[in-house]
Amino acid sequence: MDHSRREFMGGAGLVLAGATLVAGRGMASEIPEAVIQESPAMQPPLYPKTGRDYQPVVTLNGWTLPFRMKDGWKEFHLVAEPVVREIAPGMKAHFWGYNGQSPGPTIECVEGDKLRIFVTNKLPEHTTIHWHGVMLPNGMDGVGGLTQPHIKPGKTFVYEFEARRSGTFMYHPHADEMVQMAMGMMGSLVIHPADPKFMRVDRDFVFVMASYDIDPGSYVPKVMTMTDFNLWTWNSRVFPGIDPLVCGLGDRVRVRIGNLTMTNHPIHKHGAPFTVTCTDGGWVPETARIPEVTTDVPVGAMRAFEFIADEPGDWAFHCHKSHHTMNAMGHEVKTFIGVNKDTARKVIRRLVPDYMPMGSAGMAEMGEMEMPMPDNTLPMMTGFGQFGPMEMGGMFSVVKVREGIKRDDYKDPGDYKHPAGTVAYEFKGIVTEPARKGPPPSSTKTKMEFNVIKPGSNGPAKHQH
Amino acid sequence: MKTIATIMRASLLAATLVLAGCASFSADSGMGAVQGLAGAPIGKEVIAIRSEEDALAARSLIDTLLAKPLTADSAVQIALLNNRDLQAAYNQLGISEAQMVQASLPPNPTFSIERIAGAGSVEIEARAIAGILSLLTLPARAQIAADRFRQAQLQAADTTLRVATDARRAYFRAVAARSLAGFLVQSQSAAEAATQLSRELGESGTMTKLDQARNQVFFAELTAQLAQARQLASTERERLIRTMGLWGPDTEFRLPASLPRLPGRPSAQPDIEREAVARRLDLQIARMEVLALARSADLTNATRLISVLELAGIRKKVTSDEGTERERGFELELQIPIFDLGTTRVRQAEETYMQAVNRLTAKAVNIRSEAREAYGTYRAAYDIARHYQREVLPLRKIISDETLLRYNAMQIDVFTLLTEARQRIASTTSAIEAERAFWLAAANLGAAVLGGGAAAAEGATPGATMAAAEAGGGH
Repeated sequence: MDHSRREFMGGAGLVLAGATLVAGRGMASEIPEAVIQESPAMQPPLYPKTGRDYQPVVTLNGWTLPFRMKDGWKEFHLVAEPVVREIAPGMKAHFWGYNGQSPGPTIECVEGDKLRIFVTNKLPEHTTIHWHGVMLPNGMDGVGGLTQPHIKPGKTFVYEFEARRSGTFMYHPHADEMVQMAMGMMGSLVIHPADPKFMRVDRDFVFVMASYDIDPGSYVPKVMTMTDFNLWTWNSRVFPGIDPLVCGLGDRVRVRIGNLTMTNHPIHKHGAPFTVTCTDGGWVPETARIPEVTTDVPVGAMRAFEFIADEPGDWAFHCHKSHHTMNAMGHEVKTFIGVNKDTARKVIRRLVPDYMPMGSAGMAEMGEMEMPMPDNTLPMMTGFGQFGPMEMGGMFSVVKVREGIKRDDYKDPGDYKHPAGTVAYEFKGIVTEPARKGPPPSSTKTKMEFNVIKPGSNGPAKHQH
Repeated sequence: MKTIATIMRASLLAATLVLAGCASFSADSGMGAVQGLAGAPIGKEVIAIRSEEDALAARSLIDTLLAKPLTADSAVQIALLNNRDLQAAYNQLGISEAQMVQASLPPNPTFSIERIAGAGSVEIEARAIAGILSLLTLPARAQIAADRFRQAQLQAADTTLRVATDARRAYFRAVAARSLAGFLVQSQSAAEAATQLSRELGESGTMTKLDQARNQVFFAELTAQLAQARQLASTERERLIRTMGLWGPDTEFRLPASLPRLPGRPSAQPDIEREAVARRLDLQIARMEVLALARSADLTNATRLISVLELAGIRKKVTSDEGTERERGFELELQIPIFDLGTTRVRQAEETYMQAVNRLTAKAVNIRSEAREAYGTYRAAYDIARHYQREVLPLRKIISDETLLRYNAMQIDVFTLLTEARQRIASTTSAIEAERAFWLAAANLGAAVLGGGAAAAEGATPGATMAAAEAGGGH
């Protein structure tokens, strides 16, 4: 919608003007510039120019917030503000976020750093920031009312604490928390080990998981939704909008995941197994690590797993709750499997000329067909690979392992070229009917079957039509 | 003697004069005036069928009109040619004319010669007994009969307009009822589709008996509604048939499936009150009655005129959404003579006259109000019907389109799609009802200006004033 875009541009302009205004009042020395990023594309890792050295992370479809050093303090400036986030090409959401994006930029620092984080509130209501999992003075914990006064609209607060423990953390509001998180306010916080060689990896990805409920055809999440979310996102993106995790063959790869949804996510990676090396509490001792292909990330928790990318290919990487790899769908849609809708098609078309029966043989056709849909709506299942429709959505991406990828190259290398004879193929010979006991099941169901299917109900068993 | 001779001379002179200007039958039996008063304003042929040729001409026109799908105008024309009650009213006009001609003829005189002989002289007196009194009153009676004829013409014209208005209303009712029944058929097929689908879902094991029953009961109820709508359509069609006086194979005419499109703009009628007062036939009839009454009571010495109606210097500015309209009316007066008699002899005549004057005034006041009301109703009906066309139905279309998109996106299932279709049909039904209201209001607006509407039947009946005139005539 043009209207919303204009609003967005206007809003962004305001933020920049605000930052300039601060500088104009001669306060540049007191408050660092609030850097704004509007692109949803994954930005290259930000290597530190000052301060202590560390191996930076890359934020999936995101970026790292630049900092400045001042009198031994590492200073950041977060601006809480309304933003527009592209969820995937074809859909934009009107969120609240930080510095032009939801989620906000990743904050990176090193164990032992003294952090000073300015938080300016450009939202219409008060906010705070809670540094999730970080050990800090109680008054810096960001719980509105409990540990600090709220940051009123237009005000700037300062958080100061020392990064005492390395690991993966998150930040999010602890004021009108349900609404502000349902609106997309969150971000990742990574504290690197003091020794850059400790747990060093070649590629270090980070993202937070969030769930939203945006009615098809609308833009703003429904903040009162408790469980029935329709968009399951990684860094506020869904497939096919989530960048692939590009790895060079033989790279040691870490993936850090935070969960700010209201349910757990069994994260599953195809291909080489991984081990969880870091949890909320810190690094897992090597002796306690378990090799896995799926790890459950509980609500409000962080997990980091590592693997050696030694199997080239396009390896699917997703939440294993199958409806989390789908985009918005109508939960009241009836199941039409086994129904011949041709009989009704003619009558319905008289009223709804463009009506097309769907779902009689399952829903895979949904992934193939490109039907006109409401504005700002992503197909429930979508995406095409080199062999056809992928019928996915939500929390789904691909770990792309290739030979010869340069160190900081995260560009999509395209489809994997399978070596000859390594792709499943169709059998062209004669297939004999599998031997069964008794006659094959008939397509017309018997009364008895109905009674078996729906015990205890008079149900469709007695159809008296 | 001298006096008698003078009277005789005067009477003979009067008789001669009357005989010279004696009324005769008109070529068109007074229908020319009916055509002018009623036929012309509504653009229709008005024929009193009095001969074989008339009947054939009318029949051929009716056949032509019935061959095509009926329009409001063709329905009106057929009614004017074929409604036998209307033809009966034209016969009444003929009767009136015959009475007028008879009244204008002098009484047959009786001649007698008397010879008186005596005292050497013979006196022969020739007398023409012409019923001096009737001869004396002949001009007055002729005038009354002429007034009555004129009045009968107005009555015939009024009846013509009434039949025309009735036909127009019946036409729009019949078409609207037909169109409504047609939409319900669509709605019913939506329900039927839902019923079929739910049956199949029941058979495949995905829909409960409860949900199946819910879908089916809607279909069942809609079937009953459709039967009612069809019955109404048939009733309205029969009403139209009666107004048009049709029977036999003629009743198989075709009606269009829907009402005509709304006009682009409603007609603006800032002078509607003036027009109604100037043109309403029932008002003209009432006015004639008052004048005839005055004549029959021999109230000839008008000392002053009163204006029962004044509509002077209307100048108003109406500012609406569509710009500023300046309305300008000019002065209109309807003047009635008031007689100054004062004697007891004519007290009754005077009261009778004044009664008629008051009734006329009341009628004129009502007509003005009716004209305003009819226009107000017409405008409101237009705005409502247009609101459905421009707002409600387009919104329904958006809802339908968006619902289909959500179906495509697997957000809703086909039952929601069908429910939405039913709701759209409900809105369309309301839109048809609004259009029907507009077309009926348009028909009533014409009647409010020209006469022949239902409102014309209200108030003092012509019969009552006629009776009063008779009473007045007795003196």
